[in-house]
Amino acid sequence: MERLAADERGPWRLALSRFLRNRVALAFLALFFLIVVFVLAAPLWADHVAHTGPNATHTLEKLQVGDETREVVTPAGLPIGPQWFEAGGKFFLGADSRLGRDEMVRLMYGGRTSLFIGIVSGLITTLLAIVLGLLAGYYRGWVDAVIARVLDVIWSLPVLLFGIALGISLAVGGLKIGPLEISGGSIWIPIFVICVFTVPYMARPLRGEVLALREKEFVEAAVAQGAGPLRIMFAEILPNLASTIIVFFALNIANNMLFEAALSFLGAGVQPPNSSWGTMITVGEQLLNTQPLLAIIPGTMILLTVLSLNIVGDGLRDALDPRSKVRLEAHAGMVEPKGTTV
Amino acid sequence: MKKRLAGFAVLSVAALISVGLAACGGSSGGKEGGILKITYASFPDYMDPQLSYTAEGWTAMGEVYIPLLTYRGAEGKAGSEVIPGLAKEMPKVTNGGKTYTMFLRPGLKYSNGKPVKASDFTYAVERCFKTNSGGSPFYTDIVGAEKFSETKSGGIPGIETNDKTGEIKINLVKPRGTFTNELGLMFVAPVPPGTPDEDLSANPPPGTGPYVITNSQPGRGWEYERNPYWAKANSKAMPEYPSGHVDGATVTIIRNPQTQVNDVEQGRYDWMQNPLPASRFQEVKSKYEGTQFVERPTISTYFFWMNEKAAPFDDQKVRQAVNYAVDPAALERIYAGTLTATQQILPPAMPGYKKFELYPHNLAKAKAMIREAHPSDMNITVWTDTESPNNEAGEYYEGVLKELGFKTKLKILNADNYFTVIGNLSTPDLDTGWADWYQDYPHPNDFFQPLLSGESIQPTNNYNLSQTENKQLDQQMNTLAEETLGPEQEGQYAEMDKAYMEQAPMAPYGNRTLDTFVSSAINLDSIVYNETFFEHLTSFEFK
Repeated sequence: MERLAADERGPWRLALSRFLRNRVALAFLALFFLIVVFVLAAPLWADHVAHTGPNATHTLEKLQVGDETREVVTPAGLPIGPQWFEAGGKFFLGADSRLGRDEMVRLMYGGRTSLFIGIVSGLITTLLAIVLGLLAGYYRGWVDAVIARVLDVIWSLPVLLFGIALGISLAVGGLKIGPLEISGGSIWIPIFVICVFTVPYMARPLRGEVLALREKEFVEAAVAQGAGPLRIMFAEILPNLASTIIVFFALNIANNMLFEAALSFLGAGVQPPNSSWGTMITVGEQLLNTQPLLAIIPGTMILLTVLSLNIVGDGLRDALDPRSKVRLEAHAGMVEPKGTTV
Repeated sequence: MKKRLAGFAVLSVAALISVGLAACGGSSGGKEGGILKITYASFPDYMDPQLSYTAEGWTAMGEVYIPLLTYRGAEGKAGSEVIPGLAKEMPKVTNGGKTYTMFLRPGLKYSNGKPVKASDFTYAVERCFKTNSGGSPFYTDIVGAEKFSETKSGGIPGIETNDKTGEIKINLVKPRGTFTNELGLMFVAPVPPGTPDEDLSANPPPGTGPYVITNSQPGRGWEYERNPYWAKANSKAMPEYPSGHVDGATVTIIRNPQTQVNDVEQGRYDWMQNPLPASRFQEVKSKYEGTQFVERPTISTYFFWMNEKAAPFDDQKVRQAVNYAVDPAALERIYAGTLTATQQILPPAMPGYKKFELYPHNLAKAKAMIREAHPSDMNITVWTDTESPNNEAGEYYEGVLKELGFKTKLKILNADNYFTVIGNLSTPDLDTGWADWYQDYPHPNDFFQPLLSGESIQPTNNYNLSQTENKQLDQQMNTLAEETLGPEQEGQYAEMDKAYMEQAPMAPYGNRTLDTFVSSAINLDSIVYNETFFEHLTSFEFK
């Protein structure tokens, strides 16, 4: 009876109810939203609590904490540690370096940058992968050969090394392709680099699914009704890829954030003085011996964000395509596949 | 650390002994032999004696390419003395200071076994011009050199050599008080005839010093071996020159200075050539001072240059405003105690230095001056390199310019090629940026001619980064360069310092100290350091 009722609710509502039953995924979704709210609140914290911007330097400034005067940066070049609320919220997490920038403000603004890059590059990657996957899988033949080989070539590259090389060269010289012009320090440079190197990871599996779907009866029916290629690709095949795309998109954001952090850590991503969690780890790493929190905190933020996106992605996959979980578990020898269950 | 600097050649053990400094030998009780493991944070600008103009390059090649004259291998003032290198003795100066005559030592050989000839000096000077070396402006007073620098052909008639007698006669168009110093620079260290007129960093030419560079891999590292012809020939021809204790060395580029410190601390490397990162400086100093660490003052100036050839820095008021806005005290802190604030071009230990402070920090005044100047272009690019704390100094400077209302873009380049890129006038957006300058030789002209003379502006390897061209001050500079340095000239150089700072082509902010940090396996006391040439490889020895 329950199975019949579920079927009546339609696939999307059914998926939603499955997702809502996954408490771990829900908890991490809530964590992700908290992180988003945290970074969106950056201007509020900067203006009303810290009273400073993310790139403002305070090298020679002093803080008055009760009767005590504390230097933001000591003459020996050591930045002040976390003040929590002792200084009214100023330098809550201390100063980031000898430049005396507020670590908390940079953490919040840096998070906006990291999330922005992750989400935007995830969107662009997803769109590109959909188009390429549909074209290659639907048309097959030389179109497929060209697209698939290009994707293969990109796939075979040592991604991080090429990403660093491309990121550094573009960070210095900028990018100009026809009307598209991006200046060197723009955050669109790491977005571009990430998109170039991550498209194959989504386009290849999508192409495989399209190849399978185009042989299905509903596609033959659409052809028989006189539907053109565009209609078949976008109205018939694409909706059947929705669950895969949603899952990939969530995982893409997580992977792209990691990629951005790696690029920025190595100087090929977000360019100073702008902050991202990756650049903050680079700055913090220099003071690892004396102020380990400067590297640990942004690192933890990356960990929590990526972990939450991965778990939410897994939850979405389980909700949208429960068979995949069963297949995976069967593959791992955990349970015997028993056919379709709800 | 990339710094414009000077340094060069090497030398001299007997001289060291004569000044009572431990230079090379058994007196310090160290071991002979062994392979030294060295780490640099960046590859030198060029591994080519005619082209290199950075601390890294001159430190790396100082024991490989010996010029006709060189500097005594000693600290402080003693190290400023010019002494014979490949030349038998100091040049005889005649014709009212316009002719320099000297003789090559007999029996010298390159590391490939070929004999060193007097005419090789001519070849080195010509190669310096043909490759548009940053050091070439030092030699344009040689008769015919100006024309050669344009045509790159026809030879330099002002240099007459005799390969049989080893005689080298150099005729100048006018007296030049600094020429003896400039003959001691590596730019004109002899190289074999036929050495290609191109950057040979990947395959450095044969040299004459006790060590030879092998296996040079730009960006990664290089190795030293003993010059096989040093023991056979050159050490006999120039017995006062130290032969070195170690059998060779490997140099690895490690771009993370934290890793370098850890590696040296744990003995994986014996010496890190670049300064300690500011974040580790105090810790290492307190733990190892006197045993593995030593800090020394340098004759250097750190500054931000402003391109006078384009808006907004073509306006003197804008440049002066920047000087008011930059706070050297903040930069002292960024350099974590390794820099002393200044606001002038000449550093304290340089003859002619007279302290003044034209631009006491005043941000409000700077902002008002910018409003008054109303620059036509507020979009500027700020350049700096990746090495800490220079990158932070660049970030600080970019923030200052932003506060003044400019729309800024910060470009941080790898230290390996920073000066090559900003010294190439075809690089777009060369508006302003970070730089430093270490003395090439102990004469105030060295802080004016390369950095500020209009004649020094060249399309590549340019070090007049602000592209300053002030005819009146150029004329004064040239006149002073003809004279022998004395109290009167020093006074005039002090005035010139002030006159340039009124024009404000740059915003100087500090004079740096440098450190030497070695592993516990190295005898720190034996290391010879020269103000212009830094640590001498020949002086390193294992305990």
